[in-house]
Order: sequence, then C-alpha cells, then structure tokens
Amino acid sequence: MHQALLTLGFALVGASILALSALAFTLEYSVTNVANLSHGEILTVGAYCAYLVQQHGGGVILSGLAAAAGGGALALAVHNGVVDRFVRKGIGGLPTFIATLGVSLVIQNVLVIIFGAANLGYSVPQSPPRTVGPFLWTDTEIQIMVSAVVITALLYVIIQHTRFGKSLRAVSQNRSLARVSGIKANRVAALTWVLAGLIGGYAGFILAESIGTFSPYSGFGFFLITLTAAVAGGLGKAVGTLVGGIIVGIALEFFGGYLSPSYNLAFAFAILSLVILVRPRGLFVGGRRSIFE
Amino acid sequence: MIDYLVSILTEGVIFAIMALGLNVIWGWSGDFDLAYYGYVALGAYMTLVLTIGPPTQPTTYILGLTLPFPIAVIIAIISSMLLALIVGAIALRHLRGIYFSIVTLGAVYVLYIFAGQFVPLFNGYNGLSGLFDPMGDFFHIDFASYGFYYLGLCAVVLIAVVIMVTRLNTSRFGLALRSLREDERAAAAFGRNIYVTKLKAYVLGAGIGGLGGALFAGYLSAFNPSAWSPVETIILYAAILVGGRGSTRGVVLGVAVMVMGLQEATRYLPEVANQPSFAPAFRLILTGIVLVLFIRFRPQGILPERRLRDEDPAGKSGAAAVAEKVVTGPSLDTGVA
Repeated sequence: MHQALLTLGFALVGASILALSALAFTLEYSVTNVANLSHGEILTVGAYCAYLVQQHGGGVILSGLAAAAGGGALALAVHNGVVDRFVRKGIGGLPTFIATLGVSLVIQNVLVIIFGAANLGYSVPQSPPRTVGPFLWTDTEIQIMVSAVVITALLYVIIQHTRFGKSLRAVSQNRSLARVSGIKANRVAALTWVLAGLIGGYAGFILAESIGTFSPYSGFGFFLITLTAAVAGGLGKAVGTLVGGIIVGIALEFFGGYLSPSYNLAFAFAILSLVILVRPRGLFVGGRRSIFE
Repeated sequence: MIDYLVSILTEGVIFAIMALGLNVIWGWSGDFDLAYYGYVALGAYMTLVLTIGPPTQPTTYILGLTLPFPIAVIIAIISSMLLALIVGAIALRHLRGIYFSIVTLGAVYVLYIFAGQFVPLFNGYNGLSGLFDPMGDFFHIDFASYGFYYLGLCAVVLIAVVIMVTRLNTSRFGLALRSLREDERAAAAFGRNIYVTKLKAYVLGAGIGGLGGALFAGYLSAFNPSAWSPVETIILYAAILVGGRGSTRGVVLGVAVMVMGLQEATRYLPEVANQPSFAPAFRLILTGIVLVLFIRFRPQGILPERRLRDEDPAGKSGAAAVAEKVVTGPSLDTGVA
C-alpha cells in the first residue's frame, strides 16, 4: 500500500506535466481542426529557452517565463507561417497535418545545429525530498504540480469567463458561423495558439526539470504520449483532455513503476489504439462517432 | 569517385523501391501510413537473422539461420506483409485521415521500442551485422567489383517492381483503389468492398517495403535501431510528394531529387567544427521545408499522376481507360477527418 501511494505521488507529477501539454495540444486543435504534429517542438523549444536563461544566471521563475515566451513565439510562428495559410487556402486537415510533420522536422534539426544532438540538463540544486502526507516530493516536483494547477485554473477562467474565451469557444464550435457573427476568427485562432504555446513551452520546461535532461528530440517523444492523453480525453475538448491527461499520466507511471519503464511509450500507444478503436471521440463523450467513421 | 557513385546509386535505387511501395499505400489508396518504415525495418531485420547464422555470445537474436539470400528475402517480404496484415486489419477497419495516421505511428513506435529494448529479438540497440556481399561467393564475384554487381541486382529488382506497379496501376484493382481514394462512399455504392481493397493495397505496399528493406540490409550488411527511425518515413513521403503522388515516374524522379540530389547538394557543405551532425541536420531541414512548400504550392508534384478517362466505346479500344493529356493529380485531402 505504501509503495502504491509513493508511486501515486510520482504519477501526479507526471500527470500534471502531461495534462498541461495535452491541454495546449487540444487548444491548438480546437480552433484550427489541425492536429499539430510539431506540438512536441513547442515543448522542446521551451526547455531550451529556459536553459539559455539559466546559463545566464536566471532563476526558476525567470526560466519558466522564458520557456513560456519561447513556446508562445514558436506557436505563433507555426500558426501564422504555416497552419493559418493552409486553413485559409482551404487545404484540409490531413495535408496540413503532414505539413506540420515537416515543420517538426525543421525545428528539431535547427535545434540540432544550434545546440547539438546531445542531451543537456539544468543545473538546479536538488533539494532532498520532503514528506507531504503519504507522498514524497522534492521542491521542484511541488513547484511543478502547484504551477500546473494554477495554470489550469487560469485557463479555465480565460475560457469560461472572458470575452476572448467566448470567441474561442465560438470559433472552435463553428469557425464560419463565428466569422459571420463578427468574430475575427484568424485573430482568435492566432491568440489561442499563443496561449497554447505559452502553456506548452512551460510544460517543456517542467518536463525537462522532472526528467533531468532534454535533447532536440525529447519533445517529440513526449508528444506521442500527449497525443494519447488528448485523444483519450476527446480531441478539442478541454475538460476531457485534462481528465485524459491525468488518467494516462497515472496509468503510465504505474505501468513504468511496476512493469518496465522502457516500454512506457509502447504501453501509451496500446491505450491510444484501444481508445481510438473503441471510443474514437474520447472516453467521456456519449453517442455514436460521427466526424470520422 | 566511381565507388562513391555506385554506392549513392545503389542507395537511390533501394529508396526508389521503398517509395514505390509507399506510393501504393499513400499514392493510390490514399492512406497516410506512418508505420511504413516499420515494414522496411522488419524486412531488413528478417533478412539478417535468416542469413547471418547463429548468434555468438554476447549477442542474442531469434532464428540465426544461414539460408541463401534470395530465400531469406522472400521470407522477409512475407514477414513484412504479415505484420502489415495485422496492423492494417486493425487500423483500416474504421479509421481514416489523421486517426489512421496516429494509430500507425503508434504501431511503428511499438515495433521500434521492441527492436531496441527487447534484446532477444534482434539484439537490441546493438543491432545485427555480418551479412557480407550476399551471393558474392555463389557467382564468384571478387570484393572489388561487388558494388557494381549489387547495384545491378537492385536495378533489376527496381525494374521488376516498376513493371509490376505499372501493370497494377491500370488494372481493375488499381482503378478500384484510386476510386476509393477519391470518394469512398461513391466507390462503396458501386459495390467495392472498401476494407478488403484497402487492406490488399496496404499489405502489397508493405511487401514492397519489406523487399526494399531486405536489399537495404544486403547493402549495409548490418542493421540496428540507429539506422532507422520512424521519422525516416517522412523522407519517403517528401520524395513521393515532390515527384508526383500516385505517378510511378514521378516517384522515381522524386527519389532522385530528394534522396540522391539532396545528398549530393549538401555534400560540399563546409565542415563545421564540433558539429558532425551538421550536414544530415541541414538535409532534414531542407526536406521539411520542401515538404511544406510542395503541399502548399504544388501538391500534385513535378510529374503528376495522369488522370484516366473512359474512351468512346465506339472507338477501337472499346471502353478501355486511356491516359488523358490533361494532368491534375490526386487531391491531397481524402475528404475525411
């Protein structure tokens, strides 16, 4: 029982990161209907931005802000440079999906040229883990979880209680209808991608913090797990994605802790395939599938 | 110099075979399959374990036979097709568009992880080696001229594959496939069994991929997880897209441009200090940019697929389909998800 609780403690850390990454991915999807295969690179760029700030003596907060800013800038560039142009030209979801895979390849290799392909790590002084109830967490892990909860709460307020959030929901429901109602859909979509980029960049930073190292490819690896969480929760649906992220994150940690961490990704994809085949609209959506059959 | 030329030509010919297999799946059937490189890799692995003999400590792998190269290649192709049958049977049943891509991406990652982590299968990350000059002894070819011989062998296989896919292209099966790609519902209304037709194409394409992988193993004489990554598939996609999706001539041209041309173009890049990965990274950046630009500005490629139309039944060839002069190429979006 004690062991299980300890594992749950670690799982909550992983789940926080995964939930943030999946939320960002689902935001991108919701306003453009494009599954962004370069989402992982937003995380990677966030991790590298935080690394640069740390190299120049910045603290954790400054690093986190830099990571978010880097992710936001990249998301805006990908949206305005590629995705929005494709959507406006009427190029469908699948070709744009392929194009974002090309974008992902470009970003990964630009990072390889700038920073090299080897693993890097932050030089954060590690505090000894402290006991919180039945759990055992380091300060960094507590920072990760608290910040994830705060960011999620902020996001909820933005989506549900601001004018921008209302436009966001309108665009994600029906872009054309939103446009004829006077909403500047392109602007809303761009801002949503920035928001997703801020969250994604920060998620990349805390991911690198919790693993300890990162490389130009680590974001893509984590993106594959993100995809599982987002699809399990229902693509484009924020609350479902959040729950999906938490469930998948916890399931993965238990799988890794009790069986074998090397096969984590394989396990994630087993969940993903099962979900897509059995409940392709997500675990929490009733009714029959309609958008793809 | 001549050795270099032979080696890059051999590589190009092998990639052309792989790309033609992928073209059956993506070009004709219209499924954006990210698992494809898994079939190539399985072909390569199977060829090796069937030819290099039993493992010696500390390496471990399955089988370890010493079959003749051609038989090993055939078994490798069959293995790739069986794997594709399993993956395709699951993924093609209900899924199209990005959901199909995501599940196939999952499938190839599972294979990649098992190949790398599960050591008893294919010796894990250290991989397999020891297939030197397949059939060289049989034909008494000396080491110096072996490269020419292997290039010739690959070229003969490529020609055979080209003839096969060209014939298939205008066959009823090929026509059925492309009708599915354009409009599944309409094809179903005409009595096509969508699932079975797509699955056949998928397995066939994977078989050609396995053949490419087998030849690749003979060329490299070794194979390990760092020799392939699931992302390799995107290079094949870029080649097909640039050449002309669905068009056999286009795909061969695309490989010449994107694999051999790009390799040559970046060969004379200045060496960057402490950056051994500069040239390959630069090549991948170019590949990504070309991919995006072609999807946006010329999705039909350089040599687009020729549209077929029914000839006037009163004409001398009856209702046979003939190539139309107007070229349009397939639409990239298959209309689902």
